[in-house]
Amino acid sequence: MIVAENVEKRFRDVEVLKRVNLRVEPGEVVTILGASGSGKSTLIRCINGLETLSGGKITVDGHDVSTKAGLVAARRASATVFQLFNLYPHMTALQNITLAPVEVLKLPKTDAEARARALLDRVGLSAQADAYPQQLSGGQRQRVGICRALAMQPRYLLLDEVTSALDPEMTGDVLRILAALAAEGTTMVFVTHEIEFARHISSRIVFLEQGELIVDLPTAKFFAEDGGLAVPRIRQFLSKMKKD
Amino acid sequence: MRFWRVIEPYIGFLLQGFALTVVACLLAIAGAVLLGALTASMRSSGNGLVRGIANAYGDVFRNVPFLVQLFFFFYGLPELGIYIGALETGIIAMSIAGGAFVSDVILSGILTVDAGVIDAAKVSGLSRFKIFTRIVLPIAMRVSVRPMGSVLINLVLTSSILSTITVNELTGAAKIVAATTFKPFEVYAVLLVLYASLTTLLSFAISAVHHRLNRFMTGG
Amino acid sequence: MRYADFTPYDIILLLQGLGVTLALFVGTTLIGLFLGLLLAIVHHYRIPGCRPVIVVVTEALKNSPVLVQLFLVFFGIPAFLHIRMTPVEAATLTISLNTAAFAFVVFRSGIESIDRDQIEAAKVFGLGRSQILRLVIAPQAAAFAVGPLVGILVNQLQVTSLISVIGVFDLTKIGNILNLRTLQPFIVWAVIGLIYYLAAKALAHAGGRIEAALRKSVKWGGI
Ligand SMILES: Nc1ncnc2c1ncn2[C@@H]1O[C@H](COP(=O)(O)OP(=O)(O)OP(=O)(O)O)[C@@H](O)[C@H]1O
Ligand SMILES: [Mg+2]
Repeated sequence: MIVAENVEKRFRDVEVLKRVNLRVEPGEVVTILGASGSGKSTLIRCINGLETLSGGKITVDGHDVSTKAGLVAARRASATVFQLFNLYPHMTALQNITLAPVEVLKLPKTDAEARARALLDRVGLSAQADAYPQQLSGGQRQRVGICRALAMQPRYLLLDEVTSALDPEMTGDVLRILAALAAEGTTMVFVTHEIEFARHISSRIVFLEQGELIVDLPTAKFFAEDGGLAVPRIRQFLSKMKKD
Repeated sequence: MRFWRVIEPYIGFLLQGFALTVVACLLAIAGAVLLGALTASMRSSGNGLVRGIANAYGDVFRNVPFLVQLFFFFYGLPELGIYIGALETGIIAMSIAGGAFVSDVILSGILTVDAGVIDAAKVSGLSRFKIFTRIVLPIAMRVSVRPMGSVLINLVLTSSILSTITVNELTGAAKIVAATTFKPFEVYAVLLVLYASLTTLLSFAISAVHHRLNRFMTGG
Repeated sequence: MRYADFTPYDIILLLQGLGVTLALFVGTTLIGLFLGLLLAIVHHYRIPGCRPVIVVVTEALKNSPVLVQLFLVFFGIPAFLHIRMTPVEAATLTISLNTAAFAFVVFRSGIESIDRDQIEAAKVFGLGRSQILRLVIAPQAAAFAVGPLVGILVNQLQVTSLISVIGVFDLTKIGNILNLRTLQPFIVWAVIGLIYYLAAKALAHAGGRIEAALRKSVKWGGI
């Protein structure tokens, strides 16, 4: 379980997250919505320990990310997929995927490679195992990024706008993979601007407004007239999204 | 032709000198790259003291003539009770001086590494040490092959200065041959062309390495 | 007290050595920069037959050890041409040529880096070839060139230490003398090193100021 309690984050004197509370139970898919600059990425980066908290507490399966040992354990439990892929440019797809399993999980190299090939096969990239990121299209890179995250067999998958750097066709490829993962019961925390997709796969949706988590509802309720749509700010946000 | 007949008896001696130059350069290059990578990692450290020490080392050894550094070690080490040969002293001095320049090159390579790539490595649970040795350093090395190459070529040219502390590497050997044959112009002219060909070959090799390592590395 | 200790007179000795080093450095810098610029201009105007010669000679100078160049000039040329040459003459000739080779590359790329549009514009306004060079190319090339040139000169200052090997009484040679007399290598070479270090820093500092000033004036002129 991921638990964020009264999380605060300031960059110098700018408050980016204000007393945010969030719980993610195993098996849930939680989508974070919010306007640009509302703090979605920052929240994800607080969960995986890329930002240090200014206040409050985050635990992943009970491990406090602000302690050194806790962060190590928390990072074992989760994996992150990034908007701009962030693949290691000097390594092939296969090497990108096997690096952490070998170095962190201490998996034998052959096992790690077998695991990586199985994952690549699953996302339709078995032929690209030995390609370098530079030789892959954006959609292919992101699929490698997903494999890299899955190879760590994380209990939680953190995804920050993983399709927003892709064109629509490639977006479809990646979203299909994520939908399959969700159907298998993979726990995900998901930042996206793909509202329809979020509606389709999420169990819950939370809404960030200028660093405050103002709504946290089951998906159906979020899109209901007497639920999320009753909040003017959300109605406005959703109609703007539809137009884009 | 007449020159060739004069020089012929000394070819073996000159080749020995050349071999010594190659050995000294290879060892010094290895030392300089190791020391340079270590210094660059210290210069990118979060600890101010560590950074300060590494910066000071780089600054001093880049701004003092190599000849002066060499004399400092050659005459100074015995003073400390450290008795090593002239060749060893020369290799150490070259490594230290080279390391200062190499650290500059690697540091600017390190600064080009995309922060997002480092984020990805961090969240995957890799230790700081592993991130540095498996991600940051290899990327930095790839982007800095060319500037590194010019530093290494300079190091090869610098190796001729070892002749001033009695090492009979290529220049030292040539000096002896020039004096005994009374043909200094021919000997030094050939020597100059030799060094120029050697470093030109080296720069071709560096270009090849650059292309090979960076085949798939334009952009992220 | 071993051997002969330091004396106050050694300060004067050091200053003399520094004087020789600086004089030679300034002299060879002036000659080298002038020669380098001349080569770059000749290269720029594609005077027939000149390009390959310039490129081969400068490449040879950049890619061979200065010590070997010094030996070639000091020992080789007098033996070959049956002339006499003093250590200072040999040192001046060698270091000047060496500086010229490095400066040539900087000046050449400085000239090349100038926006062709500006040359076109100058042509449109009816300026002649020499006017284009003087009013458009030269100031901009200078601004581009100062940074790299300062780097080269800081390096050349250190290279001058090699002239002690052919017997010029520069700062390093004084170091040799004091080292032999006092047998205190640590102190002697640390002091010599410190003097070179300070000179290099002063040079880099001055270069930085000139660069800043030039960039300002070029920006202003570009409007
Ligand atoms: N390293 C940083 N230093 C200073 N301010 C930052 C930093 N990172 C983020 N911010 C600020 O924090 C706020 C929230 O940024 P964040 O990236 O979390 O927004 P977001 O909701 O992910 O937006 P988007 O939809 O555009 O990705 C923004 O105002 C941003 O400018
Ligand atoms: Mg974001």
